[in-house]
Amino acid sequence: MSLLLPPAFWLGAWQLCAFWVDRHVQGRGNELLLPYPATVLAALVRLGGTAPFWGIVLASLGRIVAGMALGIVLGALLAALTYLSPWAHRILAPAIRVIRATPVASFILLVLLWTGRDRVPVIIAALMVLPVVWENLSRGLRETDPQLLEMGRLYRFTRWQMVRLIYLPSLWPYFLSAVTTAMGLAWKSGVAAEVLCLPGRAIGAQVYHAKLYLEIPDLFAWTAAVVILSLLLEGLLRALLRAGKGGSAP
Amino acid sequence: MTDIHLDHISFEYGRREILSDFTLTLPGAGVTILRGPSGCGKTTLLRLLAGLEQPRSGQITGVCPRETAFLFQENRLLPWRTAEQHLTDVLPRDRREEAERWLALTELTGEEHSYPAALSGGMCRRLALARCLALGGRLYLLDEPFAGVDPQRASRIMTGLRALPAPVLLTSHEYHILSLAHRVIDLDGPPLRVV
Repeated sequence: MSLLLPPAFWLGAWQLCAFWVDRHVQGRGNELLLPYPATVLAALVRLGGTAPFWGIVLASLGRIVAGMALGIVLGALLAALTYLSPWAHRILAPAIRVIRATPVASFILLVLLWTGRDRVPVIIAALMVLPVVWENLSRGLRETDPQLLEMGRLYRFTRWQMVRLIYLPSLWPYFLSAVTTAMGLAWKSGVAAEVLCLPGRAIGAQVYHAKLYLEIPDLFAWTAAVVILSLLLEGLLRALLRAGKGGSAP
Repeated sequence: MTDIHLDHISFEYGRREILSDFTLTLPGAGVTILRGPSGCGKTTLLRLLAGLEQPRSGQITGVCPRETAFLFQENRLLPWRTAEQHLTDVLPRDRREEAERWLALTELTGEEHSYPAALSGGMCRRLALARCLALGGRLYLLDEPFAGVDPQRASRIMTGLRALPAPVLLTSHEYHILSLAHRVIDLDGPPLRVV
């Protein structure tokens, strides 16, 4: 019951707003400004019933997942490098902070100039994920319990044991937090890149066309598809990470 | 093992002088208890012997830090490892079956698959001790091994420590185990001195 209450509240608020807009425009079509939730649901069901919808969803999902994986791997490698080498930290940390501060639209347009339009969403999602993963894992590495590290050294742990028994378990909460935050960022930036670059089959391209032809319920429906996919993927990832951790922790 | 000599050792934490021109000879066999008030410098003395701290001046002979097994004052257990895994982590691959022996000596048999969060304070202390014993070495340096352990159990474990092949140097406030040591050294400080 408590799980259903927040979505019910917001759906109610949406319904009320759409009703208010409908009254305000006096029958000239609120669907152009703010469609009713039922209209959007109908659009989503209609789109979901077509074969191209699933192809488009899978193509976008593939790009976002690829971008996330790339961002996580690069972020983790850079976190390890900047932790081990103060010089690497001095050189790379400002660059990563610049990536984080740069507007995503600037990146999208620049990357579009340098590479093919199909690759842009992957690269953009990776660029948005990388600083989050780097920041979280760097903090995790810095905050690894020095007493445990001293114990590991004195108890003659090998390097691999230090990593496997002390660093990785200590980093786990930081990694989980990074991945959860990065997931939302990857979807937002990846779809934004698709809107601007219009790759072959992409949710972003559908959002763009829906806006262009004023098919606002479709625009809402595609947006809802992104939100649902993002939440599903986040849930799946959390479950996978929990399963991967299982057995080695209380 | 030969006796351990601390010759004119000086050591400070910042401006706080812990050892000043301290000299002591420790026996290279049996169980020796270092007894003294909290903060007198006992832990620092053990950390110097383990090579975790370097003296500002003076010399320590008769001990190789790489061959010591040190029990920290804190348990320093890994929350994500079971009791048995704590021991197998420090044992060589061909001696992993010894874990059972050390768990038995510290009276933790039956807790092999328990994580530290499921153990009481005294059990965690005994697990930390078991891990240190499993690590092994030519000298055992045990900092407050019986903190939170009930007196009867501490006495039984102490009897087990007496049977170890290497010398044991431990700090303790527990009076009931003093009679089980081969030697008791009374200390005071800081700066640390033999009373």
